[in-house]
Amino acid sequence: MKLPCLLLVAAQFSRVFGLWPQPRSLQTGSSALKLAPTFNILVNVGHAPSDLENAVSRTKTFLRSDNLGRLVVGRGASDSAAVQHAKSLDTLELSLAHGAAVKSITDEARLPIGTRSEEYTLHVPADGSSATITANSTLGLLRGLTTFEQLWYEYGGQVYTVEAPISITDSPAYPYRGFMLDTSRNFFPVSDIKRTLNAMSWVKMSEFHWHVSDSQSFPLEVPGYTDLASKGAYAPSMIYSPSDVQDIVAYAGARGIDVMIEIDTPGHTAIISAAHPEHVACAEASPWTTFANEPPAGQLRLASAATTNFTAGLLASVARMFPSAIMSTGGDELNTECYVQDPETQADLKATGRSLEQALDVFTQKTHAAIRAEGKTPAVWEEMVLDHNVTLGNDTIVLVWISSANAAAVAAKNFRLVHGPSDYFYLDCGAGEWIGDDVANSWCDPFKTWQKSYTFDPLANISESQAHLVLGGEQLLWTEQSGPENLDSIVWPRAASSAEVFWSGPGGNLSTALPRLHDLAFRMRQRGVKAIQLQPMWCALRPGKCNLDS
Amino acid sequence: MPSRVLVFTWLVFLFGHYGWAIWPIPRSLLTGTSPVKLSPDFVINLQGLSNPPADLASAISRTQSRLHSDSLERLVLGRGSGDAQAVEGAHLLSSLTASLQHGSPVRSIAEETTLAFDDKSESYELFIPDDRAVATLVANSTLGLLRGLTTFEQLWYDYKGTKYTLEAPIQIHDEPAFPHRGFSFDTSRNFFPVADIHRTLDAMSWVKLSILYWHIIDSQSFPLEVGAFPELSQKGAYSPEEIYTREDVNNIVAYANERGIDVIMELDTPGHTTAISAAHPEHIACAAKSPWSKYASEPPAGQLRIASPSTLSFARTLFSSVASALPGTMMSSGGDEVNLPCWEEDEETMADLVQRNITIADALNEFVQTVQGVIKEHGKTPFIKSDMVLTHKVPVVNDTVVVVWQTSEDAAAVANISLRFIHQPSNYFYLDCGAGEWLGNDILGNSWCDPFKTWQRAYSFDPYANLTTDQYALVLGGQMPLWSEQSSAENLDPIVWPRLAAGAEVFWTGSTLPDGSPRLGMNATSGTNALARLHELRYRLVDRGVKAIALQPKWCVLRPGECDLDA
Repeated sequence: MKLPCLLLVAAQFSRVFGLWPQPRSLQTGSSALKLAPTFNILVNVGHAPSDLENAVSRTKTFLRSDNLGRLVVGRGASDSAAVQHAKSLDTLELSLAHGAAVKSITDEARLPIGTRSEEYTLHVPADGSSATITANSTLGLLRGLTTFEQLWYEYGGQVYTVEAPISITDSPAYPYRGFMLDTSRNFFPVSDIKRTLNAMSWVKMSEFHWHVSDSQSFPLEVPGYTDLASKGAYAPSMIYSPSDVQDIVAYAGARGIDVMIEIDTPGHTAIISAAHPEHVACAEASPWTTFANEPPAGQLRLASAATTNFTAGLLASVARMFPSAIMSTGGDELNTECYVQDPETQADLKATGRSLEQALDVFTQKTHAAIRAEGKTPAVWEEMVLDHNVTLGNDTIVLVWISSANAAAVAAKNFRLVHGPSDYFYLDCGAGEWIGDDVANSWCDPFKTWQKSYTFDPLANISESQAHLVLGGEQLLWTEQSGPENLDSIVWPRAASSAEVFWSGPGGNLSTALPRLHDLAFRMRQRGVKAIQLQPMWCALRPGKCNLDS
Repeated sequence: MPSRVLVFTWLVFLFGHYGWAIWPIPRSLLTGTSPVKLSPDFVINLQGLSNPPADLASAISRTQSRLHSDSLERLVLGRGSGDAQAVEGAHLLSSLTASLQHGSPVRSIAEETTLAFDDKSESYELFIPDDRAVATLVANSTLGLLRGLTTFEQLWYDYKGTKYTLEAPIQIHDEPAFPHRGFSFDTSRNFFPVADIHRTLDAMSWVKLSILYWHIIDSQSFPLEVGAFPELSQKGAYSPEEIYTREDVNNIVAYANERGIDVIMELDTPGHTTAISAAHPEHIACAAKSPWSKYASEPPAGQLRIASPSTLSFARTLFSSVASALPGTMMSSGGDEVNLPCWEEDEETMADLVQRNITIADALNEFVQTVQGVIKEHGKTPFIKSDMVLTHKVPVVNDTVVVVWQTSEDAAAVANISLRFIHQPSNYFYLDCGAGEWLGNDILGNSWCDPFKTWQRAYSFDPYANLTTDQYALVLGGQMPLWSEQSSAENLDPIVWPRLAAGAEVFWTGSTLPDGSPRLGMNATSGTNALARLHELRYRLVDRGVKAIALQPKWCVLRPGECDLDA
């Protein structure tokens, strides 16, 4: 008797909730329920890890400080009568499933991809009796707390919902739900990265893909290779020290986010020449258009044994700075002409009797062996499997970026893959050409709207037998035209689009997603993240009135 | 001495960009190669003004304060360190003497700023010697002195606390090509707090913009408190906190005027007025009618009932109430995108038309004449959007200024009917273009005015394109607008800056750069020319707390020209 009633309500009023990503299973009622002034969260977990206690305390703070009025005309004024007579919720109880091991959120978040437990169940009864979150891991409890925070609105000092009872059973469709940030083209202070990690955790993202270095600057201080940053960073104040890295990695881990570091090689390395000119071919060669996809040109001398050893050592040292089980060695946009015109590389090839492709294979095998020796599984950009004949371990993760059409080819080669296609997920597209003396458009024009990203199908053209190869996906910010000044506004709330695609699965309804995304963006702003307005506020308060066809 | 300076100037011009972030570029600029630094007790003295206007004294004190707090190092590899030796031995400048030309009237900057365009003087002369202790600034008006102070602030780099230039002597004769150099700002689609408007006005003054064209109301919200109709904002604003009170407006206008910026308020009518229906449904046809696409260019639909005598009377009182509270000599009645089916399907409008035996075109003419009449009665020049005169052929008063917005091609058509106009073409100047469709349920929809208008695109604009020489006098200038469907306080700085500065330089310098070369020519926007100066402006904006975006990787910024297409 109860279930049909709940489903009816869900159909009529589903837009009230600002849950993002949408839970896999959600049942709601139509009763008002308010948080008691004494509301508390009880952690029924023996020897609760400190990062769980901290997560609980953040949730309690958000419940009091969000102050988000419901996005309807009147902002919740019409709810006040119902709320006045509503039952009060005193307690939320967290517990792990019987027999579940108690590990920190951080440890759970850093488990190998595909072995993490993020599922949880959440019940909020309408009668004021305790709400509960149950999970198989502390990471699952964190995901449940994140959902719990999004259930509540504020009006006149009262924090409430009008949809109790609420019953949620939730788990992600894909384990890899990421955001990639390029900190080389322009630098981002640690505080901006932490704010971004916060926002990522609010939409249950699981991976921070950190493209830390590129041809323009090398902002990472690597033990044993400190001259790379001291000579290749933009300024002494624009370097991530090992303690900054520890800080960022710990901050991410406590929020359920693993950090996959990327040292892009052998291309995108011009700046290494500031400290080690001997390792870089065609460094700042002109015209750059002949030698690279963007200035400055410069690639590691992959045929040189010394450069290969240097790179392997560098990657191993970086690997030791990051606790994740995965690490990216890059591999995109390798330029042949750079090596053709480099006498040192040509001499090395001649001496070893190798072709350039063979040299690349040797180089990649050695660098991958170096990070595998540190316990990492390598990730590479798609060209390494689609354009080059490189020997890669079966478990290598391939990052698809050039086009969504290329995912199927990667899957056909039986590699696990992460979707980051420029035609759906590049956050930097559409801002015009940044090259000087050129009035062209962005190379990946137009701007990728949240709507475009939201329609992405992770399994398009991928056979059922290959579906297991899809680990998830990420939206990416390349920072030629970005800096701390526009980080929030260019990323949020758009990056939440793929967070839902890869948590809830594809096929979501654009019309019902928009009010929820407004809700998320308004909540982000309340929390200090400068997410942009997706529409005039008139539209945000009148769901459905500003659709193309309304 | 002048010939020596001239030679040096050409050397600098030929052998590449040296430095200094003057934006907009002065009309006449001669520089040398001597280092000069500011004395630690550097002062600005006003000469010949025993009782200077308070806003001039404030402007001087702001300049003094920025000379200390700006910490922009030169944007080259190694930043300021390469200049250390030159700075060490640099000639010391102890003061700047600012004075008005003999016989010039002494008025406040605000008074000068709100004069009619023909009466306004923004010219100034600035000289920085390399062999004397005193620099000089001379102008015909306090407004000219303000422009000169703004330039003076941009001459200096910081190295370990010392402020210096490497290019003394510097001689500048400067004045704008056009009086109207503006930013059009929509505060209706989304609201912007007063503090954000203040910050924007500051940044506008740093690039010598002269006009805030304030599109304060629209169909989505009515954030303006109107003396005669307080209910319009009480019921039509997004919230009680999202209203510009009369005090806020006075405050914003005063803040702008003291910074050399006049405010033209636009009450967009008769379209774009749905928000009025919250308080006065009787005046609005097709309010929020569905499907909106039939009745308006964007949701919600709704237009003033132009045929209704009582609505005409309401509009008269609305314009009068707003106009009487504003200083300045200009005001706009908008007029874009009126929708005919909205009125044709409105029973009240159709009844009024029948009863009065007039057509919609007659009613539109009458409406425009009425609101323009009120604007004139208050001593202001009326502005109107170009589709009113081009599409609807509405007769307007002779001195009307037309805002050309749909496309740059329309400018010639407006000139052909001999009306004065300003340029605001969507295909060059719209700051909001390129951010994707904001309407819901439109997966592949792009921005209607895609692509994004880059600074290079805006910079390439020629205000005299397709005009005959005798039509040049009709061009009063131009402005870049931000329509805020997808903007708010969160992204205001990054979406506006530094791009808005491109328009500022176009309308300060005219149809070409001061040396006669086109802004779209070879190398014009290269990293060694305009882009280098724009980088410096951007870094100075960020230094002063305006979150202007990065135009390139910093690698490129520190290596002028190396990220050009042909580098």
